[in-house]
Amino acid sequence: MTPDTVLVLKRRLAQLGRGLALALVLIWSVGPITMIVVAAFTPEKEIFSVTKSAGWQPTLENFVMLWAKWGDFFTGLLNSLIVTLGATLLAVVVSTLAGFGYSRWQSRLLASSAFSMIALRLLPPIVTTLPLFPIVNAFGLNDTYLVLILLYAAFFVSMGTMVMRTFIDQIPRELDEAAMVDGATSLQILRRVILPLCGQGMIAVAIFVIVYAWNEFLFAFIFTTKFAKTAPLVMSEMVGSLDGVEWGVVFAATTVQLLPVLIFVVLCQRHLIEGLTAGATKG
Amino acid sequence: MAEARLPSQNPRAGVPFVLPALAMLAAMILVPGVYVLWLSFHASSFGQSPTYVGFANYAKILADPYFWRALKNTVIVVLTVVHVELLLGLGVALLFANGLPFRKLLIACVLAPYAVSEVGAVVMWRTMFDPDAGLVTRLMLGFGLTPLEWSVVPMHGLILVSLLSIWLHLPFTFIILYAARLSIPKDLYEAAELDGATAWQSFRRITLPLLMPAILIAMLFRYIFAYRLFSEVWLLTGGGPARQTEVVAIYLYLEAFRYNNFGTATATGWLMVLTSLVLALVYLRKLYREMLARDA
Repeated sequence: MTPDTVLVLKRRLAQLGRGLALALVLIWSVGPITMIVVAAFTPEKEIFSVTKSAGWQPTLENFVMLWAKWGDFFTGLLNSLIVTLGATLLAVVVSTLAGFGYSRWQSRLLASSAFSMIALRLLPPIVTTLPLFPIVNAFGLNDTYLVLILLYAAFFVSMGTMVMRTFIDQIPRELDEAAMVDGATSLQILRRVILPLCGQGMIAVAIFVIVYAWNEFLFAFIFTTKFAKTAPLVMSEMVGSLDGVEWGVVFAATTVQLLPVLIFVVLCQRHLIEGLTAGATKG
Repeated sequence: MAEARLPSQNPRAGVPFVLPALAMLAAMILVPGVYVLWLSFHASSFGQSPTYVGFANYAKILADPYFWRALKNTVIVVLTVVHVELLLGLGVALLFANGLPFRKLLIACVLAPYAVSEVGAVVMWRTMFDPDAGLVTRLMLGFGLTPLEWSVVPMHGLILVSLLSIWLHLPFTFIILYAARLSIPKDLYEAAELDGATAWQSFRRITLPLLMPAILIAMLFRYIFAYRLFSEVWLLTGGGPARQTEVVAIYLYLEAFRYNNFGTATATGWLMVLTSLVLALVYLRKLYREMLARDA
């Protein structure tokens, strides 16, 4: 072999290796999702049959069964939607206000409060459920949207604030000063100068809260029992059902719950990456 | 225009803006956290008034073999999950950083598990590893391997929990490492190539050292978050068989909500808080210096 052919061979081999690695990464990431979605469109009998019938005939029967038997699931989806919108709105508003505060004013007190926000976020959520449980009961907030909205927003406010501060820091202060010369108050500066320019940050914060609130299990499991049950909780009941799990229906539910947020994440991937690098890891 | 006061001249004017965020955190996290501390020194269950018992609750957990098993399981899972995830995340980040066709689409695929709920992920993974008809079980049998008996053998249960945890959180680790890798200037690699460095050398001398801060941050965050592990275990094994796959968060939940031992549950909670803070100490110290230096 001439050195040239060795070189070509080596390059081919490297290319092959990278192609193989890429294929593995794809199977790993998308394989489990694809499998569930395909199974959701497969007749219940055939999903677990070891001998697959020749052609795959997609069917909606699992979705029909889901609709007929698990009205709870669709109420759950609606509850999830309400809780997600509420938590997102609250978290974005509160984070934007705080991000503005921390970006434009500096003092020892403010800095230490920002620091304690980040430190607090590190507490395991399950720990706060213990004392909250009796308190929530005492206020009659058990099984309401409000308790979930407050909890979901609270656990994302620190990160949201840091993301917003990073984005607002990039807006030149000269703009504030110009508005101030025209006699604008801080609130007016926030509304007229900052808000129109920090949409990117707000979208990034919203994405994190939306994905979290839509999928969250622990708080929903502990604080809702009937009326405010979210979709993931109903799904867990389907899987834990004592009188035999209907897997076809479970796959259909998993698909319905997953697809909207999956499409959303794929569409917003740029903001997701920006948000994570802007604040998630700084604090 | 000396009259135009800069907002930064009066820091107190910034307080109203940060107040709602602080109030929310105080109400939902700080006050409950402190209350847990107080409760952990008292014997109580729902509906009873607490009586002071000193460190009795802590003594009780530390003497409970189930607690130690839960702690051991947690340590095993956290160490496995975080380190495997970092290796995989680094691998994928480097693979992607070299330039690929359809990069956006491929990144979307890698990010996809980020959108999946814990419940959804459990459904997917237990279906793949179904002992009778699971796709992976059949593949493993086909290759002459013994499939995972995750509902019977505790260690297999923990392996499946780890696998699905890695799957769910790889997108996070990947994004952090990928963004850090993209921010390394290209000319460093070009210079290394001119000097005749091999791929391995430029990885060792350029990529790895420059990625180190991002790797450490990702590792730290994943330690802290993996430590909270609850839903995956709860939904997959429920801590069974015979409480053998419990992790600390499950132990806490069962103590509080099944066995009605509020005192020991709160003590477990504070042990979790303390260990989380110890894990985060290095990060918090660094952050404290940076943040308080910002206003100086």
